[in-house]
Amino acid sequence: MPSESRAVRPWPTWPPDYGSGDEDRRALFVLSALRGISPRNLIPIAVERGSAAATLAWIAEGHAGSENDQAFARGLDPDAIARVAEACGSRLVTWTSAEYPNQLRQIPDPPGAIYLTGRASPDVTSAVAVVGARRCTASGREAAYRIGRGLALAGLTVVSGAARGIDAASHEGALSVRGWTLAVLGSGLDVPYPSASRELIARIGRLGTLVSEYAPGTPPSQHHFPARNRIVAGLCRATVVVEGAKGSGSLITAEHAMEFGRDVVAVAGSVTSALSEVPLQLIREGATLIRDVDDLLDDLGVEIAPAEVADRLELDDAERRILDGIAEPTLPDRLASSLGVTVPEVVGVLMRLELRGFVRNVGGRYETTLKARAQRDQRDEDSERSARGTPDRATSRTGTPAPSSRLAAIDER
Amino acid sequence: MYGRVNGVTVVGVRGHLVAVEAHVGRGLPSLTITGLPGAGVQDARDRIRPAVESAGLEWPLRRVVVNLSPGTLRKEGPGLDLPVAMGVLAATTQVPAGALGRWAFAGELSLRGGLVPTPGVLSVAIAAARAGLRGVVVPAENAAEAALVDDLEVVGAASLAEVVGFLRGTWRPTAPGKTGRREDAKHAVDLAEVRGQAQARRALEVAAAGGHNVLMVGPPGAGKTMLARRLATILPTMSRDESLEVTQLHSVAGLLDGGLIHARPFRSPHHTVSPAALLGGGTAYLRPGEVSLAHHGVLFLDEFTEFRRDAVEGLRQPLEDGRVVVTRMVGSAVFPARFTLVAAANPCPCGFAGDPVRRCICRDDRLKTYQAKLTGPLLDRVDIRLVLPRLTKRELLGEQPGETSSSVRERVERARSLQRRRYAPLGFPSNAQLPGPVARREARISPQARELLASAVDLHALTGRGFDRTLKVARTIADLAGADLVEPDHVVEALAYRSASPLPELERAV
Repeated sequence: MPSESRAVRPWPTWPPDYGSGDEDRRALFVLSALRGISPRNLIPIAVERGSAAATLAWIAEGHAGSENDQAFARGLDPDAIARVAEACGSRLVTWTSAEYPNQLRQIPDPPGAIYLTGRASPDVTSAVAVVGARRCTASGREAAYRIGRGLALAGLTVVSGAARGIDAASHEGALSVRGWTLAVLGSGLDVPYPSASRELIARIGRLGTLVSEYAPGTPPSQHHFPARNRIVAGLCRATVVVEGAKGSGSLITAEHAMEFGRDVVAVAGSVTSALSEVPLQLIREGATLIRDVDDLLDDLGVEIAPAEVADRLELDDAERRILDGIAEPTLPDRLASSLGVTVPEVVGVLMRLELRGFVRNVGGRYETTLKARAQRDQRDEDSERSARGTPDRATSRTGTPAPSSRLAAIDER
Repeated sequence: MYGRVNGVTVVGVRGHLVAVEAHVGRGLPSLTITGLPGAGVQDARDRIRPAVESAGLEWPLRRVVVNLSPGTLRKEGPGLDLPVAMGVLAATTQVPAGALGRWAFAGELSLRGGLVPTPGVLSVAIAAARAGLRGVVVPAENAAEAALVDDLEVVGAASLAEVVGFLRGTWRPTAPGKTGRREDAKHAVDLAEVRGQAQARRALEVAAAGGHNVLMVGPPGAGKTMLARRLATILPTMSRDESLEVTQLHSVAGLLDGGLIHARPFRSPHHTVSPAALLGGGTAYLRPGEVSLAHHGVLFLDEFTEFRRDAVEGLRQPLEDGRVVVTRMVGSAVFPARFTLVAAANPCPCGFAGDPVRRCICRDDRLKTYQAKLTGPLLDRVDIRLVLPRLTKRELLGEQPGETSSSVRERVERARSLQRRRYAPLGFPSNAQLPGPVARREARISPQARELLASAVDLHALTGRGFDRTLKVARTIADLAGADLVEPDHVVEALAYRSASPLPELERAV
């Protein structure tokens, strides 16, 4: 850690050798288990005292922290915590460790140490966070899934919080192509929360990376989640917000990202939907607007191999007409009457389209999926190209000659 | 002094002939009834003497013993009032004994000697005809239903005095008009009244054509009740035998007013219904439940998730066997109960999951518990699942009035006759009744359609059970189209009726 870069920082951070050495490591196990004192309060003490062991001693002597913290600081056995951490397959990565993610060092109040399972992400510097509402719509879930999948195919790491809804869908998208994904938990790594994501968290533990700043055994707590969100934002070069209602946690993550000088990207939604509140507000404040994963990949300046591009399924005439007839969630009756075909025929074609993922049934009405939109764009492009007579599509999927990033790359140090 | 007349007791829906013997002998004035009388018959003891006296007849001031034979059968119901009275009158030679043996008597008496309408008279008449009797003497109000039985004379009397007058030859009954023989059923509602919801209308047509049960999931105001009520109007017209069965059940339940029931019944019990009221039962007198009153018709369970668990579980037997066996301490009875089940539920506790405008406010755990109620062994027997949207004003206004029930019913009847012909050797009435393995063997499906079904399984759109359900529904759709083989088009339409979840699964989102 070069000291110059720390010197220009307007906020104090951990001493350069905080957590180095065996004694300091042992102290960090105990410090990570204290529930009443956050990095924000701990950093000034650490700066003053110099090492983790001295910081712990300071608390144990009763100079800082709550009474509970002081009692725990005296009583907790670091070796016991270390054993539990090891038992759940995690290891402690301290501030001085080479494994400590560099981009996390640049935020205010970084954790002094994190628990981590699995291999550290191969490309954590180009990690992208995908966050959003837990109670999301089907199209939001699809958008998150496609973004997770696309980022993974482009070799980036998908970071999220393993919550239900958008978080889970983005992890699933990455896992669906065996890509790398990282989940930051608001509890100890052996406490999978929420319980609905238990299975997902286990899979991420096997195939990706789990991160938490809390000691094993720590239960989830309300104030852990905003703190968790700062790590999500801090790990990533960009944060994508898919859906979020007013006052949701995704706004906090996005605000952290802005504060850290990272990019904020929002998936545009309908102005009438309550779940578009956060993305639209962020766009007004300058976030980058994307419609689908392709926009995001363009903006990041990355490409995915053409073979991996969504399979080009041929649509027959009836299917195309019905797909083009759906501008908003539509009843089959209306499609039948406007296209002049019978209801059973429309239902049949819709079913074919649904099985291939081009439409979905939401409460009895049918809407088109992002996959259908991507397909339609491709179709238009193809017909345009054949009209121009340029048979070139191998070099670039979007027609732009070379990928160039519109979003700033993260400072690698 | 001895007299003997015929009475009938009704067990379940079946009438059993009972010989009512009366003996008037020496002793203090009393009336004893022997031969396993149920509580309702014991009840008659104190009613009969005033009735006889009010009719201007004489009650013997001696010891009267009435025996009901066979003694192994428990006799229930008020219908034995009249035969007991007639037995005593025969024993005291107040009526000529000669003609008595060729008639059966049934009816409840009032203290003034009147005959009160009595449940189960149709079953009485059927039992009398089966026993080869000449006719039945029943309360005047019940004469029309008794007259539904062929080759049986029916005497409808308003009082005990008239019955005695008839036997003495001093009073002639008016022949009950053989009304109620119109062949077309009149329904109060029609499918044409449903605006919009074309997909649901079509699903009901398929349900009617194959005898499939239906689950409708949709927000309040989507029209679930309206649609369910109209399913009864597009089911095939009932045959005379079916009509008689339905009439008999309603007669036993005391719900019949008039003659033969032509319209398929529609029953919609409230969700607080007790298992006994839903399935049949009672402490003294075993009555048919809602499932039997819906026999050959539609049983509509609105707010399906709110029904008591034990009541819902009890539906499995009738859905499987088409009948309910009710067993109580007083005995057991079998009631036929072959109905089409239509269950309806909100998509979530607050009712707005999947709604494009209003946001669902249910907590996740409640949503999960709720969704779990919409699965289970009972709903595995439901082939057609529908998600109904709440229509906006614009969507409603744009719609033309739909087809009438009678034109839909014509197609349904054609499809049903194809099924009857196909399954005649197997003894199944319709596609819905086929067990899974039989359906797979008999469905006559084209190779392309089979491949499509298999691919739906691969895409996780179908489970194993869902496969059989979809296959049966596809077979019905093919029957509606008059096709010999199930084609891919039929399968894709059937696939649209497979899921009642308003929120699509993640797998299908991609």
